[in-house]
Amino acid sequence: MTDPLGPGEFPPVSARPPSTGDDVLTRRGVRVERAAVVSFLVATAAAIGLTIVYWEGGQPQAEGILLAVALGGIGVGIVLWAKHFMPSDEVAEDRHPMESSEEDVAAFAADFEAGGTSLQRRRVLVATAGGACATLGVALLFPIRSLGPRPGRGFKQTAYRQGGLRVVDEDGMPVRPRDLPVDGFITVWPDGYTDAADASTLLIHFRSDQDFQPKSGREEWTVDDIVAYSKLCTHVGCPVGLYQAEAGLLLCPCHQSTFDVMRHAQPVFGPAARSLPQLPLGLDDDGYIIATGDFSDPVGPGFWDRGR
Amino acid sequence: MRQPRLQRVLVALPLVVTAVVTPAFVGLGGTGGGSGSGDPGGREGDELIAEGRELYETGCSSCHGPDGRGVVGPDGDVRGPSLANAGEAAAYYYLATGRMPLANSEDQPISKEPAYSPEEIDALVAYVGTLGTGPDVPDVDPDAGDLALGGEVFRANCQACHSASGVGGALSYGRAAPRLTSAPPNVIASAVRVGPGEMPVFGPDVIDSHELNSLVRYVRYLDDPEDPGGLPIGRTGPIPEGFVAWLFGMVALVGLVVWIGTRDPIRQTRGSEP
Amino acid sequence: MTEPAAPHPTRRSPERLYTHRIARWIDSRLGAAKFARTALNKVFPDNWSFMLGELALYSFVVLVLTGVYLTFFFDASTNEVVYTGSHEPLRGVEMSAAYRSALELSFDVRAGLVMRQIHHWAALLFLAAITVHLARVFFTGAFRRPREINWIIGCTLLPLAMFNGLFGYSLLDDQLSGTGLRIIYGITISIPLVGTWAASLLFGGEFPGPDIIQRLYVIHILLIPALIAVLIAAHLAILVRHKHTQFPGPGRREENVVGQRFWPTYASKALGLFFLTSAVLAFMGGVFQINPIWVYGPFDPAEVSTASQPDWYMGWLDGALRIMPGWEIRAFGFEIPNPFFPGVLLAGVTFALLYAWPFMEARVTGDYAEHHLLDRPRQRPVRTALGAATLSFYVICFLGAASDVLASTFGLSVNAILWTFRILVLAAPPVVGWVTYRLCKELSARDGLPTASRVTMREIPGRLRRGAASET
Repeated sequence: MTDPLGPGEFPPVSARPPSTGDDVLTRRGVRVERAAVVSFLVATAAAIGLTIVYWEGGQPQAEGILLAVALGGIGVGIVLWAKHFMPSDEVAEDRHPMESSEEDVAAFAADFEAGGTSLQRRRVLVATAGGACATLGVALLFPIRSLGPRPGRGFKQTAYRQGGLRVVDEDGMPVRPRDLPVDGFITVWPDGYTDAADASTLLIHFRSDQDFQPKSGREEWTVDDIVAYSKLCTHVGCPVGLYQAEAGLLLCPCHQSTFDVMRHAQPVFGPAARSLPQLPLGLDDDGYIIATGDFSDPVGPGFWDRGR
Repeated sequence: MRQPRLQRVLVALPLVVTAVVTPAFVGLGGTGGGSGSGDPGGREGDELIAEGRELYETGCSSCHGPDGRGVVGPDGDVRGPSLANAGEAAAYYYLATGRMPLANSEDQPISKEPAYSPEEIDALVAYVGTLGTGPDVPDVDPDAGDLALGGEVFRANCQACHSASGVGGALSYGRAAPRLTSAPPNVIASAVRVGPGEMPVFGPDVIDSHELNSLVRYVRYLDDPEDPGGLPIGRTGPIPEGFVAWLFGMVALVGLVVWIGTRDPIRQTRGSEP
Repeated sequence: MTEPAAPHPTRRSPERLYTHRIARWIDSRLGAAKFARTALNKVFPDNWSFMLGELALYSFVVLVLTGVYLTFFFDASTNEVVYTGSHEPLRGVEMSAAYRSALELSFDVRAGLVMRQIHHWAALLFLAAITVHLARVFFTGAFRRPREINWIIGCTLLPLAMFNGLFGYSLLDDQLSGTGLRIIYGITISIPLVGTWAASLLFGGEFPGPDIIQRLYVIHILLIPALIAVLIAAHLAILVRHKHTQFPGPGRREENVVGQRFWPTYASKALGLFFLTSAVLAFMGGVFQINPIWVYGPFDPAEVSTASQPDWYMGWLDGALRIMPGWEIRAFGFEIPNPFFPGVLLAGVTFALLYAWPFMEARVTGDYAEHHLLDRPRQRPVRTALGAATLSFYVICFLGAASDVLASTFGLSVNAILWTFRILVLAAPPVVGWVTYRLCKELSARDGLPTASRVTMREIPGRLRRGAASET
């Protein structure tokens, strides 16, 4: 028998939950129970259906829908049961301040300090133990160094640095100027290095009416109106795969950096801050296009000491 | 009761939204369309060319000039480029996809219903072919191509502008690479050889004829690809996936949470305490 | 010498029901009856918005269950192989073993594709649920003392979940996710002084690096899930210790918690929600195609598709990278490259602000007291306005990631869209903040509720008597 409660107060949680009465249901209760039963039965049927579908070879949509119906049927049944047939009385539980009482804190402190005096008194032990553990901890970090090579010249050079290498397509076939039609573009690599991710290069055959202006010092870097730039975007390194032939623009699809092919691929829009490095081209004795040296700058995205 | 209506709305909403949003993501691409075989072999060559010249002078010479030499406006703007080296392939591509005739030369030509009948297109194509040395309509046989090779050629050369699923993509300053699906083989092949508009030119030394057959076969496959996972929701990758996650998934889940979290004030059992 | 105490009876009177017998058996070995009874009678307030965190929890359970299944089929190797399976458009194509195992799982393993898709949808919804739950906690002030530790745990769970999702879809070595890894590499090397070292150690050299898939695999299936599981356990344990917060209302005070008992009602509802969450995920996994890697093709570092976006929860970072103008800092041959600012600095500031918020708010408002009653957002207009403004900043960054798709879908210029976002990302937050502030004031006035940005003790009903730092 609980004490009478004030207005707006709730019985304590320790009070017994009210009896849910008889097993006799109201008319609405009957309907809800029926709905829950149907839900569980539908779930059962779906689960059986799932095994049949699987046995017969599987089909993703059927599997997903049947699994959803099976799980959902069980879920709906449980929720109907909980919402309508389980006690929904509201009760109150007391909260206590999180802080422990002063006595508890003091007792803890006393016990801790009593046990810890030997720690405090033996300062030499504390110092040397701490030193040993710290040093060992640092030493154990060293194996991280084995995870990868020291970032070296590879960040600033490509295989083209050997000079005189032919440029080849992904099948290793070298390229003659006449193979590339006007307004054409193709991706090439140094001969023998078609797997080198940093050396992917764009060859672009621009039109004579496009007012190509080489950067000073690079007047000899093109062959028959064919220019070569690094394909790696100087922003974060995506391949700059979109060539807009009419406008003479290279567009990187990742973050919309745009480079002007007629002006040494300088950035004209977007987050890239540097031009695409240019590759100096020449012709070998058989008339194939070669690279006469490495790119004008380190390829790809920037890093701390790129300029040194 | 107010709550159940809210719940019903929250559960129905994701279904309605998905039904509305999904078609929008299926894309607003133009119809590829294109008629005309590009093969003027049905009628006599000279007769065809004469017919073509007549059609040209009526419908094209105002922008492209007499004899296809092009028209440059008084301020130096090109009103219609010279067709001297356009070739049959270019004429076929532009006419069969309805991109030409173009009302305003400033606009990017877009695919629409062709203005000419297939026979008229054949005539015009034959005539333009006589104006210079441009590429002929390629002889393409998709069934002779290899689907996997076509996919590799597509991913190496085309997906950067047209996207991996061929639905097209944005270029700079309002230009766009169009959706590729439902374009007939001759149109695809002509576009590859002609490089219309901003598209680069892919000559036979870059994509040979077997690769071209394969590429066309792959592009046709993209028109109706395998979708074993279910509804393709736009074929544009994580963006529509994110929308579905929020507009369908989270709405459904929050709707369920609202349903679960509300208490039913009506008693279901006799004799239970209020 | 004392007598030994009488031993406990080794046999009690036999129980009639099996369940009772089992319970007795366990209790005689664990002595858990008292603890278990407290657990049964825990009180949980039953506002629906308190179940949002559960959505995240159940998504995580689904992720683990489907994820374990996937590990039985995935081969985390970058060895080059030739595909000879059943998907014709890729037959004869060279690819990594990892990508091939993903194709085999999708096409040749029964229920493989639906499991993969459920796993991926569950990841997207895991993060959506975390986000919605975080917003609820923020806007109702549930992070205040004593719940700062739980806030910190939650703020750690968010980036862990984000990165695990990113690493997860990058395992498949397809063109789209490989492009994402290239971007991660580029952002990593942009860190001053240590960037190239960090990237070289993580990837095992220059991009792409043959080791990255295997390393991401270990991180994705072991390290981060273990951390997440431990943090979730701590998160829940602390929640139970503190008892859940509640909205103010009749009979609800700081010194009590009003709601339903855990057993049977709340526990059943929670179980039901688990089944229903799993049902929604299963439905999505079967009906909505997600991450069709066979269309993207195997990763090639020299190729890329237009419309390359990360999954939605990384969208704000990708969008920030696109919106950022091309500024860099260069001096004496050293440089801080452009991606550092939106990629590293913005991310760092975002999480730093998140972590610091409860402490900053307490300092500004002068309120260091315990709070177990929640705020209605309209009653705290400054916090709500700041939260809405910040949210709008990230929404615009998020839209920025979709700039090229918006351009091609609506026939607009992608350059114009990005310029618009550059302006909006700075102009919209103040406007959104101001509008939200006025809305809060307006709604509170209409409801007749007091608003507070600085706390005055009198306005909060039912303060705890003890432990209050600044009782007036």
